Amino acid sequence: MKWTSVIVEDLQVAADYLAKCCEKSGLLEVKGHFTNVQEALNYLNKNSVDVLFLDVEMPGATGFDLLDQLAYYPKIILTTSKQEYAYNAFEYNVTDFLKKPFTYQRFQEALNKLTSPAGDSNISSTASDHIFIKCEGKLVRLNNDDILFIESMGDYVKFVTPDKKYITHNTIKNLEEKVNRQCFIKVHRSYIININKIDDIRENDLYIKGNEIPVSKAHKSDVLKRLNII
Amino acid sequence: MVQPNSSKKFTFNEQIDSSYLHSLYENDFQYIEEIFGTTLSHFDPDFEALQQAWQQGDVVALKKAVHKIKPTFGFVGLTHVQQQCKEFEDICQKAGTTDDISQLYQQIVTTLAASRELIAAEYTKLKDYNSNHL
Repeated sequence: MKWTSVIVEDLQVAADYLAKCCEKSGLLEVKGHFTNVQEALNYLNKNSVDVLFLDVEMPGATGFDLLDQLAYYPKIILTTSKQEYAYNAFEYNVTDFLKKPFTYQRFQEALNKLTSPAGDSNISSTASDHIFIKCEGKLVRLNNDDILFIESMGDYVKFVTPDKKYITHNTIKNLEEKVNRQCFIKVHRSYIININKIDDIRENDLYIKGNEIPVSKAHKSDVLKRLNII
Repeated sequence: MVQPNSSKKFTFNEQIDSSYLHSLYENDFQYIEEIFGTTLSHFDPDFEALQQAWQQGDVVALKKAVHKIKPTFGFVGLTHVQQQCKEFEDICQKAGTTDDISQLYQQIVTTLAASRELIAAEYTKLKDYNSNHL
């Protein structure tokens, strides 16, 4: 299965060349090309991708501004013509830094970093639209959109969907690293919720389909930041 | 660094670093034609943005414009022009106003205009070559 990717690049010839490299690799599917940060954010806030090819200097906001606003972190490969951004690249924990124009061999080296053991850990988990859980002796697929919230039960967790509850051996702490952070947020040491399923919030509780879920003081500001409050 | 023409199949203008182009695209001349075509079709708006920034006396916008157009020249093998753009970008970074860099601006604009003509000429040659050899 190919990794999904998006190219954020204002120079058309550079975007075309990058798309060609992706195609040639056979490893990456380019889901879109955006020439500015706002267009890219609009897409990325609705769609998860595995890899983000990101230019730094673009009209308006910079690539780093995009990273500051992104609700989750795909693997990031910076593409820029300015070597000076290498330090910022390190600060943002990007996978690689490609100076334009780059050869296909150099591009392959960047892809190799994506597949290194350290680089592989959150692909297909944090950026995916579903997860598989071990439940009742089988692997069950749960789409992110079907999960209302996840509740801790000691050494087990309960995945709650509108129709069914699934109990599996796991912990909230572990799942926090594995679920798609675009959809899910930890609101309490015992709860991860689907941010898109909140019906309302009152004081220190939120409600999802009639379920009352506590929001701890430590997590409340993070939760409020993620809501589209007007 | 500009290399002498080294392609066995197509002779690039001597200002184009053909070894560098080969390192990017090997001998895929159809794709090189595509690259030159894409470069040309987006060149004028980027060049105009640079000239407009100058006319408005906006040194920050001028720096951004030259930053954007700079890698274009790498993609078509005009590595020395890319380097000139980098130097001009660095100068813009330090300049307080456009008045400080008037002479250098005239030089870079002349270089960019000449480069556009060169890219256009090479694009035509590549089209002819590809239509005759592919």
